[in-house]
Amino acid sequence: MGVRLFLTTKISTINRILPFTYILKVEYLVIVIFSVVCLIGGLLVYMLFYIYIKSRREKKYDKWRLISDLLIRKAVFYDDDQVQAETNIPVTDRAKKLMNKRHFRKLLTEEIVSAKKNITGISAYNLKNLYQQLLLPNYALKNLKSRYWHIKAKAIQELTVMEMDEYVTELISFTNNQNELVRMEAQTAIVQFNGFEGLSFLDAITYPISDWQQIKLLQQLAHARPVDMGIDGWLKSANNSVVVFALKLARNYQLFELHDDILQCLDHTNPHVRLEAINFFCEIYTEDTSDALISRYLKEDLKHQLAMIKAIQNIGSEKDVPFLVSLLDKDDHEIKISAARALTKIGKNGIALLKRHADDKGYPLDQIAMHVKGGLPA
Amino acid sequence: MSWQTFILHIFTYGILLYSILLTSCYILIGAFSISETRTYLNKNSFTDYRVLASSTEAPSMSILAPAYNEAATIIENVRSLLSLHYNNLEVIIINDGSKDDSLERLIDAYDLYKVDYFVNQQVETKLVKGVYKSHNQVYRKLIVVDKENGGKADALNVGVNIAQNNYFVCVDVDCVLEQDAILKLAKPFLENSTHRVIAAGGVVRIANSCEIEGGRLVKVNLPKQFLPRIQTLEYIRAFLLSRMAWTRLNGLLLISGAFGAFDREIVIKCGGYNHKTVGEDMELVVRMRRYMEELGQPYRVSFIPDPLCWTEAPSTFKILGRQRNRWARGTIETLRFHKKMFFNPRYGLLGMLSYPYWLFFEFLAPIIEFFGTIGLIIYCIVAEINYSALLITAGVVSIGILYSIFAILMEVLTYNQYKQRKDILRLVIVAVLEPVIFHPFVVWSSIRGNFDLLRKRNSWGEMTRQGFAAEKKIL
Repeated sequence: MGVRLFLTTKISTINRILPFTYILKVEYLVIVIFSVVCLIGGLLVYMLFYIYIKSRREKKYDKWRLISDLLIRKAVFYDDDQVQAETNIPVTDRAKKLMNKRHFRKLLTEEIVSAKKNITGISAYNLKNLYQQLLLPNYALKNLKSRYWHIKAKAIQELTVMEMDEYVTELISFTNNQNELVRMEAQTAIVQFNGFEGLSFLDAITYPISDWQQIKLLQQLAHARPVDMGIDGWLKSANNSVVVFALKLARNYQLFELHDDILQCLDHTNPHVRLEAINFFCEIYTEDTSDALISRYLKEDLKHQLAMIKAIQNIGSEKDVPFLVSLLDKDDHEIKISAARALTKIGKNGIALLKRHADDKGYPLDQIAMHVKGGLPA
Repeated sequence: MSWQTFILHIFTYGILLYSILLTSCYILIGAFSISETRTYLNKNSFTDYRVLASSTEAPSMSILAPAYNEAATIIENVRSLLSLHYNNLEVIIINDGSKDDSLERLIDAYDLYKVDYFVNQQVETKLVKGVYKSHNQVYRKLIVVDKENGGKADALNVGVNIAQNNYFVCVDVDCVLEQDAILKLAKPFLENSTHRVIAAGGVVRIANSCEIEGGRLVKVNLPKQFLPRIQTLEYIRAFLLSRMAWTRLNGLLLISGAFGAFDREIVIKCGGYNHKTVGEDMELVVRMRRYMEELGQPYRVSFIPDPLCWTEAPSTFKILGRQRNRWARGTIETLRFHKKMFFNPRYGLLGMLSYPYWLFFEFLAPIIEFFGTIGLIIYCIVAEINYSALLITAGVVSIGILYSIFAILMEVLTYNQYKQRKDILRLVIVAVLEPVIFHPFVVWSSIRGNFDLLRKRNSWGEMTRQGFAAEKKIL
């Protein structure tokens, strides 16, 4: 009671000397500070509790990990004859019991998926069998219905790694999902299961395909047998990223028959498409390709011009030499360096021409010529 | 009301308003950071970086590492850079006119020879004296450039001119990078189809007391010394909270000069690093953003929260003071160069939010704190004790501690680099002590930075480091 009285008297004294006491009362400030201190305490308690729970969980997980590893080792080294006889991989009662626990299932699934990524052949087949034997695909299918995108995407990846191609129809609908990650994993899955035919999702996709996803898809396709994919259709897609991806496919698989279709891409409104089309002509060309590039050279910006010169360096012939020589007089040093390098690669007199030009013009061409002759990239 | 009382009211309520705004910023930063970090971790949980490591379509990257008088550690540091996991990579070491024998040591260790090299001066720099490549194919990724001394920005600009790849990563040569650092930093440039990613930053962590072997970090330890330990907390707060939150808003203005990746084409179009400021890292990002805004092209500056780069923090007040002095000058110079953007709607979020935030809460905060504290002390001595201002100060300090504790919690919930329970407790103690011991010094260094700028003192300030040179060393 005495303390309360003391505080009340003290606070009212302080309040009297505070400016604008009708707005800012010392009680309010004390309450704010007290609340913040309580929050600090709360956060600390939560953090310590979390660390405690986590360390306990880790200990439990370590034990579970041993059980999972044992199971995976058993599957990996399972005898071939037994596999052919389609007998089940023996699972201990302890493991069977633990399968009812969600966290153990999650851990075991992660361990199996991780092992499967690094294993091929009969051992991988055994892991797939173990995955099915433990009915883990059912949980992945359940996760496909999750409202959280990352759970959905992870489930798709899990089914893909474990080669559950029987669920391909369930996954197709996700290839144009509004969530980028879900979409990407579904596209990767379909391509893994169906190879080049799986690319049919490109006909309908309305979202852009990121460069990252294109790299993933190309890697998936590296192991697939090329078939007629209908790339010519994708080259006319309204989705620019589909056109870019089609151009990469055409370049990677050296699809010479698309040469004329890709020539039209040089006039595409999207600069990425044009750049990828130019890159295509670094490797696939006819005797008129360099003329097509040169005729469009002036319309392009520096980046595209440099790509064109690089393409001409690879595919050009004697007839392109005058064009390249004319570039040596341009103001931009990058153009000069690229043209000089292209000259040294084309025709018999390229180096002599460059040297003569460098002698006439002096700096910087003389140094560029030495640089190029040194064979360094520029 | 007398004029003295009026001034007192203005002072008190000014501090109160500023504190409320600052606290609101903390709350928003915390909320945005949680959201961005969660999205990143969820996304990252099933990302396989091996895809990028083995792909011929992976973007080509150049590492630019300026070196000045680093002879003691340079061989080991270059070896560490050469061992990074990335296929399409070149490592460019720029010897910025070192007075020691850095170049000779590099020539001997890596079997270098001088090549005829035409340096295309797309960005103007000081004279390049020579470009060196290795006879040994094992070191084919390595290019060493010897140039006249011109400062870090000038050295980086030489690197930009020499680099052949679409993207470059600038690193401090004495930093230790994680093996997959470039893979992770390259990914943001490939992810966005609608916005051009012009730069990407990564988290820098404190390496003091960590175990480094052969240029690689093998064990993370909390720094044993007080100053590096307090900076550990500071870095966690800055990287895990502030930068993640600004990334969420696409308003990040700073990518650390110690570790960041940039789109080379945009950097060249912007004119490269500005050697007229000591805050060249921040200035470049601001200029790149400004350039993209003026061009009207959609863009992003990305940031990834993985601890990828480890650096040695100053362990004495003298060196720390120089560093903070420089940071303060860098901030002011950058804000001054780009004052046109201040509350300019033409620059969108950059002009209306990022720039004002930096002006009010990064540049002005130490000034307000300094003069506020001095004013309060004088008032309390000559007049009467201003309880309201004292209580507001106590409130702000307690909110600062809360913010630090929240940062520690975020660290525990995400990357949890300091696994021992006692390390977390040490960080908590540091969080409580920081406002009393460390923060006043940082404020004072910042004020000195302001004065130095007014007096046109613009030296970089020597940074003496202990280095990771030994084969196995605990810093």
